[in-house]
Amino acid sequence: MKLRPDIVGISLILVLAPFWLPLVHGYEALGTRVLVLGLAAMSLNFLLGFTGVLSFGHAAYFGLGAYGCGFALKYLAPSTPLAILCGMLLGTIAGALLGALIVRRRGVYFAMVTIAFGQVFYFIAFRWNTLTGGDDGLRGFSRQPIDLGFTTINIADNLTALYYFVLVCFAIAVGLMGLLLRSPFGRTLLAIRENERRARFLGLPIEQHIWLSFVISCAFMSMAGALYALLNNFADPKGLHYTQSGDFVIMAVLGGMRSFWGPLLGAAVFVVLQDSLSSMTTNWQSWIGVMFVIVVLFFPRGLLGFLRRKSQA
Amino acid sequence: MDTQLILFNGFNGLIVGAFYVLMALGLSLILNLSGVINFAHGGFLAVGGYLAYTLTPYIGFWPSLLVAPTLTAILGVVIERTMVRRLYGRDPLYSLLLTFGLAFIFEDMTRAIWGAQGVPFAPPEYLSQPISLDLFFVTYYRLFMMAVVFIAVLALFMFLRYTRIGVRIRAGTLDLETVSALGVNVRALRTLNFAVGIFLAGLAGVLAGGNLSLEPTMGANVLMPSFVAIIVGGVGSLPGTLVGGLLIGVAAGLTSVWFPSASEAVIYVIMAVVLLVRPRGLMGEEGVMT
Amino acid sequence: MSLLDVNNVTKAFGSLVAVRNVSLSIEPGELRAIIGPNGAGKTTFFNLISGLFPPTEGTISFDGTDVTQLPPQRRVVLGMARTFQITEIFPELSIAENVRIGVEVAGGYRLRPWIRKAENAAIQERVAEILELTQLAAKAGRTVGELSHGDQRAAEISMALTLKPRILLLDEPTAGMGDQETYEVTALIKRLHREGYTIALIEHDMRVVFNLADRILVLDQGSPLAQGTPQEISTNEAVQAAYLGKTA
Repeated sequence: MKLRPDIVGISLILVLAPFWLPLVHGYEALGTRVLVLGLAAMSLNFLLGFTGVLSFGHAAYFGLGAYGCGFALKYLAPSTPLAILCGMLLGTIAGALLGALIVRRRGVYFAMVTIAFGQVFYFIAFRWNTLTGGDDGLRGFSRQPIDLGFTTINIADNLTALYYFVLVCFAIAVGLMGLLLRSPFGRTLLAIRENERRARFLGLPIEQHIWLSFVISCAFMSMAGALYALLNNFADPKGLHYTQSGDFVIMAVLGGMRSFWGPLLGAAVFVVLQDSLSSMTTNWQSWIGVMFVIVVLFFPRGLLGFLRRKSQA
Repeated sequence: MDTQLILFNGFNGLIVGAFYVLMALGLSLILNLSGVINFAHGGFLAVGGYLAYTLTPYIGFWPSLLVAPTLTAILGVVIERTMVRRLYGRDPLYSLLLTFGLAFIFEDMTRAIWGAQGVPFAPPEYLSQPISLDLFFVTYYRLFMMAVVFIAVLALFMFLRYTRIGVRIRAGTLDLETVSALGVNVRALRTLNFAVGIFLAGLAGVLAGGNLSLEPTMGANVLMPSFVAIIVGGVGSLPGTLVGGLLIGVAAGLTSVWFPSASEAVIYVIMAVVLLVRPRGLMGEEGVMT
Repeated sequence: MSLLDVNNVTKAFGSLVAVRNVSLSIEPGELRAIIGPNGAGKTTFFNLISGLFPPTEGTISFDGTDVTQLPPQRRVVLGMARTFQITEIFPELSIAENVRIGVEVAGGYRLRPWIRKAENAAIQERVAEILELTQLAAKAGRTVGELSHGDQRAAEISMALTLKPRILLLDEPTAGMGDQETYEVTALIKRLHREGYTIALIEHDMRVVFNLADRILVLDQGSPLAQGTPQEISTNEAVQAAYLGKTA
């Protein structure tokens, strides 16, 4: 296999992050957050940018991943890998069931139904106090060191170790998505995005493929959610809320939803912006809102799309 | 089971349902003609309520009931002309994100202007009396509110059926290209339609303010149920939206009699059942925007 | 038994009857044209054959199988491929990718998350073969959305060919084209006919029809008006009346 310059470049930046982040007044937890939210935005973009299906309720699967992870650590067993697996299972199963219900809807209608169904989980988490901790979120669990047999990686206390652990998970997930998109199956998704009618008249069962794409997207989304719960030792009902879904969509659009790495860039810009805005002003929400408006009106192709166009012009 | 309790919650549900109806009809109008899911609709609702709160000391409650929604509608027109209009015909993703961002801005602005704490907005004293001691929850204000919603909905349907512009809006919902080819100014039609939708949101805001109190987040809280009302009633059908709104309002109200913590979730259960049994919604037409 | 047998189909949309009692049988290797004035129901008739919606009355069978109620993707599997009046392609992908997707789906790889070297080679060979036939090989790497109308049409036909169709349904293949492009697309269809493909096409341009077709079906206001060889149709009085009546 040939070495692709984009993959080499991004790998170098991410692997070396703990070394260069302090130089730009960043910190490791911020880097870890970018990775996790970047994974979430890229998972959403699998559906949004590469299948052409607008889900506006993906925070639900992110949040389910977080709660599933928290439940496993709190009630089941103190094992980090098991917790991630449980989070993914919860999110993926929910995605598979709801996906089957909505896969025939299209466009705005699909978006509305995904938003509304996403809120179901928010209300469950919000109301089922005894299990989920309600409005306060799920607490009382903490990430566990990872036992590899010959050695133990202490992600519980060592933030650098945690960063690299998250990076490995990120790399596996993103690598799988990348391979999928370059496969015959991935090309059928592009076909659906490009022209549903032509795809149908090539003999593709569209609904089945959209459903699969939805489930795959939910699986990686809930993995990101599980990692987020580990990062914070906490699962937040706000992570299930539709405003969180909006944040993920804007990350994808901001970075460029037609490019594979765009959503990661979008997540980085979003996280840094949110971090600095919220330390400067109490009205930071408005500024995020202003950013939405500016992106939509002036950079609809996102930063990467904009740069690409510039370089062609 | 206590009949009074059931009546109490059923009536509450009806009131709430009436709000959903006003919200959802406005959302539906805009969605049907322009293909825009207006996430900022709740923001407009709050603005309507707060404007009435500010205006009432100067011009009184009754004039505010009309002036505040009108001002809200004018704000809506400004936003439609400067921003939303540029996204018509593009991927619905973009108008969704735009109005989503606007919703953030609206909420923060109302908070900055009127404060984060709820402010009481009292309707005239004579409206606040209950009609009888047994039915303590049925105040004149609530009856008055129902009447206003009824009149507004009736006026909307008459407007759509009997005025030239209303007929054009309905025709545009079915086939915009043909309407445009017949020489109708589609841009102006969409602006006007947007204004009508926002007016309804503003009106809902004034009424809601008098029923509970005014809070910056009050609009966001009714947004999701309004979506559900549209889906349950059937996308593309205004009568469907009306039925959907009342249905989920009453269902949520009655659920709170037996199962208070499930009253929010029940509307989503209804939606799931409708999508399973009748995917196009109760009164939706096959093939319309699905 | 013919390859395609359409038996007395009628399609009504509410009170509007778009197609009334039309029958048609097509033999293997034949090139059949369907013509008629605007609003004659040609496209509706085509949509019935390809399965966009089922007929109100009548039956359609393909190679002995009753397909009247089958959805389009099931008919595709049986070997019925079609193109549309407004070209339906994957605009942001290259010609080679457009065709490759068709080849992969037809080859049963649609759910495969990986591909073996040998399979990959076979797929690429098949793509090259089709692009050779439609004379697009030189432009294989170009993005389809940026190409000329005629090339886009050729790309769409290439995609239909990936299905190894036993009948090719072409809906106004030269619609909206200039003389040069019309000539190129006509030449392509002729070539496919010589290769042995069975083709049914709707056409507006009479030069194209009389140049290509073995037999012609004429529709007028949803009903069959005449059927026969180009020779017979050109001298048919009812056909002349219908066309002249429309243009007068």
